[in-house]
Amino acid sequence: MTGGWPAFCRDLLEQFPLIFTGLVQTLRLTAIISLTGLLGGIVVLYLTLSRSPIVRRLTQAYISFFIGMPLIVLLFLLYYGLPQWGIRLSPFVVAVVGFTLNVAAYNAAYLTSAYNGLEQTELEAGRAQGFSHRQVFALLTLPQVLRMSVPALTNQVILNLKDSTLAFLIQYTEFFARIQELASTNFQFFKAYALAALVYLLLVSAIVLAARAVEKRVIIPGLLG
Amino acid sequence: MSPVPLIQVRELVKDFDGQRVLAGVNLDIMEGGIKVVMGPSGCGKSTLLRCLNRLVEPTSGTIHLRGQLVTGAGVDVRALRQGIGFVFQQFALYRHLTVLDNVSLALRKLRGMRRLEAEQKAMYELARLDMAAHRDKYPGQISGGQKQRVALARALAMDPAVVVMDEPTSALDPLLTREVAQLIQRLHGEKVTLLCVTHDVLLARSITEQVVFLDRGVVRAEGSIEHLSSAHPDALIRDFFGRESGA
Repeated sequence: MTGGWPAFCRDLLEQFPLIFTGLVQTLRLTAIISLTGLLGGIVVLYLTLSRSPIVRRLTQAYISFFIGMPLIVLLFLLYYGLPQWGIRLSPFVVAVVGFTLNVAAYNAAYLTSAYNGLEQTELEAGRAQGFSHRQVFALLTLPQVLRMSVPALTNQVILNLKDSTLAFLIQYTEFFARIQELASTNFQFFKAYALAALVYLLLVSAIVLAARAVEKRVIIPGLLG
Repeated sequence: MSPVPLIQVRELVKDFDGQRVLAGVNLDIMEGGIKVVMGPSGCGKSTLLRCLNRLVEPTSGTIHLRGQLVTGAGVDVRALRQGIGFVFQQFALYRHLTVLDNVSLALRKLRGMRRLEAEQKAMYELARLDMAAHRDKYPGQISGGQKQRVALARALAMDPAVVVMDEPTSALDPLLTREVAQLIQRLHGEKVTLLCVTHDVLLARSITEQVVFLDRGVVRAEGSIEHLSSAHPDALIRDFFGRESGA
């Protein structure tokens, strides 16, 4: 092992501004893809409930395709593959687009599964009252499906945070990329990666705590509690 | 000249995957009247109700509401549905909404009422059915009988031409069944037009004398329960009403 704690701490302090910037990039990417992935998932869920069999089949194909494709392959395809067709995107844009396509497919699968657990007569009651297909979705289906999916959606946000390290492989300098730089400065690999693990653990814990608070707020009285 | 029925059903047919569920139903419902349609399970009672507001599309036949044809193309189905208050067998309340929101939602979103106005109207209907005190509860926090009242309030809030009830007591115990019967009688007294399908002869007996017997998709008999249970020439009908009423 080269050097000890004093050397590692000195390098850490020196590189702290860069590491902090990396952490902000990680949080930014995680927040954006969690939001766009959720919105995408809602759109895909809406389309899976379409009255058109073609639309339903296409959305099912979308879900299967993006769940089936490894995320790293998708990111490489967009970042290294597209330039061969003359389309050059920044690492950030590739990360947002690639993650969104992937996360939306997963979220749509969670939301669809929650939808299957809904009381269908409630939705029929909505139609019987005169609500349109879109109103039934917005007023009756979505509020319940989202509530029922909080645990699954939380897991997805945690996965988004952890998977954001993959963006480092398409030149997006997020937190893990900065830790990698720190490790290669002084070859204190164990200390650097242990620090990264600790930071990710703290972030995941914060997400879990936030999700529990959300779950408490959105619980349907007399039903899930 | 005899008065024109509020709802007139003629030769209504519904096939599901080649199976005939309704085989030419004829039915009249008068304004302010109460009509009870009875029959064994699977006779087509619920399908008949769902054809009225086109939750189920009839295969053929006609339905007129206030003299207007409501079957076929070119009908504003959503407007039709707003004019028919539907109370489902399992109440089908919106579980994520409070009692008050269950009743006021359609007023706000379909009638375009402001929240305050919609809630005032909803509270009027809830008070009418003795449910005002439960306005902030969720469906999961009230009993079956209370859910039934909220479902009725939700239907009545839209001032429908007719309230249709699908097996209103199938999910209730005998005590609550009596309550529902009293409630239906009260609404009938207030000139609300009611169509109720049930296989519960005790319920039917306590709300009306005249019933319609539906079997294998057609109206087999119409008359008083007394007559149908003792003097009808068809033994199956006599058995149905005799056994079910405990006679």
